[in-house]
Amino acid sequence: MRLRKLFTAAIAASALVAGMAIAPVYAATEVKMILWPGPEGEAMQKVVDAYNAGQGKKDGVVVKQVLLSRDNTFAKEAALMKAKSSEYDIYFTASYLVGQHAPYLSEIKGVKDKIYLKASIDGLKVNKKQMALPLDTSLHFMYYRTDLVNSLSSAANTAKYKQISKTVLGKELSPNTNPETWSWDDALATAAFFTQKYNPDSPTKYGYALPAKNLLYNTMIWNDVLWGLGGNWYANGKPNLNTASGKAAIDVYRTIYTKELTSPESSQWEYAETNAALTSGNAMMALQWNAAYSELSKTGATSGKVGIAAPPGQGQRTHVHALAVGLNKFSKKQAAAQKWMKYLATVPAMKDYAAAGGVPSMPEILNTMVSTNASFANIITYAGKYGYSESAGAREFDIYAKLAEVLSPAWVGQKTADEVASAADAALKSLRK
Amino acid sequence: MIRQRGDRVSAVVLAAPLLIFLSTLVVWPIYLGIKTSLSRDLLSEFEITPAGLDNFRTILAASDFWLALRFTILFAIVVTIVEGLLGFALALVFDRKFPGKRTLFSMVLIPIMIAPSLMAVMYRLILNENIGIIPGFLQKFGLDISIFDKRYVFFTLVALDAIQYTSFAFLLVYAALQNIPQQIYESAAIDGARYRQVIWRITLPILKPALAIIAMLRLIDSFRTFDTIYILTGGGPGTSTQTIGIYIYKTAFITGDFGLASAASVTLVLLLAPLMPKIIKQFRLDIK
Repeated sequence: MRLRKLFTAAIAASALVAGMAIAPVYAATEVKMILWPGPEGEAMQKVVDAYNAGQGKKDGVVVKQVLLSRDNTFAKEAALMKAKSSEYDIYFTASYLVGQHAPYLSEIKGVKDKIYLKASIDGLKVNKKQMALPLDTSLHFMYYRTDLVNSLSSAANTAKYKQISKTVLGKELSPNTNPETWSWDDALATAAFFTQKYNPDSPTKYGYALPAKNLLYNTMIWNDVLWGLGGNWYANGKPNLNTASGKAAIDVYRTIYTKELTSPESSQWEYAETNAALTSGNAMMALQWNAAYSELSKTGATSGKVGIAAPPGQGQRTHVHALAVGLNKFSKKQAAAQKWMKYLATVPAMKDYAAAGGVPSMPEILNTMVSTNASFANIITYAGKYGYSESAGAREFDIYAKLAEVLSPAWVGQKTADEVASAADAALKSLRK
Repeated sequence: MIRQRGDRVSAVVLAAPLLIFLSTLVVWPIYLGIKTSLSRDLLSEFEITPAGLDNFRTILAASDFWLALRFTILFAIVVTIVEGLLGFALALVFDRKFPGKRTLFSMVLIPIMIAPSLMAVMYRLILNENIGIIPGFLQKFGLDISIFDKRYVFFTLVALDAIQYTSFAFLLVYAALQNIPQQIYESAAIDGARYRQVIWRITLPILKPALAIIAMLRLIDSFRTFDTIYILTGGGPGTSTQTIGIYIYKTAFITGDFGLASAASVTLVLLLAPLMPKIIKQFRLDIK
């Protein structure tokens, strides 16, 4: 019995000593990174796994990804940042937020600008310092049903189109079957033509799916309308929405809603509902995020029939932003986190990211993957040709939210453009102080 | 003398855990909230600077704050009345024997067991005009309505809140009903009282304290409504369905103005605090 106890103790002691000897070899610094769930988080997990299994071992770094909620990641980060927390080493951010986050981020040095889309990498600079590393590039496409747009060219439809455009818009317009060259009048007339209220033969109930919820991301989409009509938030440093172009842009949304070219329910719509309206066959077109392409091209009524065009307007522009990661200034593991960020800025890492469903901001990778996602070609073209962001400084994010709040009653006809335009300008003035 | 001193020491020792708990989890956060409300504390600015009463001036002049307060009060009153009435009616139905009562009883309680945010996400799916089960079902009967149409959105929100919380009112009323002695009903029956008279003259007066507590709890709870409305409407269109909770949340975490959000919270407490003694007195809650 005594011998048995001694034997057990000897084994336990040996295991302890062996463990202590082995431990330093594998001791790695854990870097904690925040991302949000969804395609970005899933794709990033593959990159994290590859790093931890390979380069991470050489660097002595283990990365742990923490996914917060998709809706409130930035709110939780705001609380962490304000508390100067060191709990997470890497924060999730975006070009529209980096101005707000910059005081809590360390500058990232040694980033090769040339391998990224210019709009994406430049959008993450604050006072010429690179404050975050781009992941996904997001911009907007005008999605439309190719089968329906092609049907417009028949003589019967042309006559009907003219009559409907006269009724709805007060102008007799001819069909334009090339959405790439649409003005907003063309888009509205086409939407009216494919709305059953005006054309009972329309295969879609509504011509348009309007994301009009009071949500800051919906302001980003509305901005395309504003820019397409020659407007901008500011002109010569002064608020510029209480102008003809600002009011015209509000009236485009107002017309779509009040003329019932979109569902009455769209006053509460955002990304998911807009997609559902298109794939269910209830709506014919929508200005929507590029990320929707993979769903729209393979699902329901839009499967194999979805076309992509730049946002309408004479001064065509699309909002573009980059989702990104930045280094927490208060992290106690700056060196380890820098090693991971360095890896993340390489083409192989972003190739893994793209292969897992991400949309990296590197043209070289997007070009090689056009065969798997045709919209990648449009991302490169449109980001370069039409890509634009307001760059309103540290409070850009606040402005998006405030404009959604101020403008959305007019988008859905509760107020007029005149009633909200001055309030929008007041908000722009106060938030750019 | 020694005994008195010993009693005092014992009292302090016994009260200490509660005092520590209150100090750390109530007094300290309130102090921080008041301090923040007197500061310029923006997420986009690293430094926090004293702001005096600027945030309070801004809040008192902000029409959005008052609109949110008005909507919240209206919403709280309407849902409290609706849920109180439905809960009472449901309790009366369940206060008699019928086949399947146990199963139905359990089913009625299910909504209250689900997290409001989860319910809201579920509603977004099942009530969606394009992919939702309920609009699809209604369309088969020729009813083509948009449940989230801006004209109906207030009623939709009230209905969804009622689906979730009527069971709370029902449960409390039902429990109170079980405590009413059967003899009272028997005496009323002998005296020839009709069902309506029994409800008005006997049941309701006896249930008054329980109904008062339900009303107070639901008022307080619905005043704090956040998740369901935030997920479903984001407070919109515009600010037409924005509760005071959503207003404070957006001010702090989206606009990144912690000073202003704290000022809104403090103002809200100052506005509501004088009402509490009146509510307690009105409902005759015997707090000693």
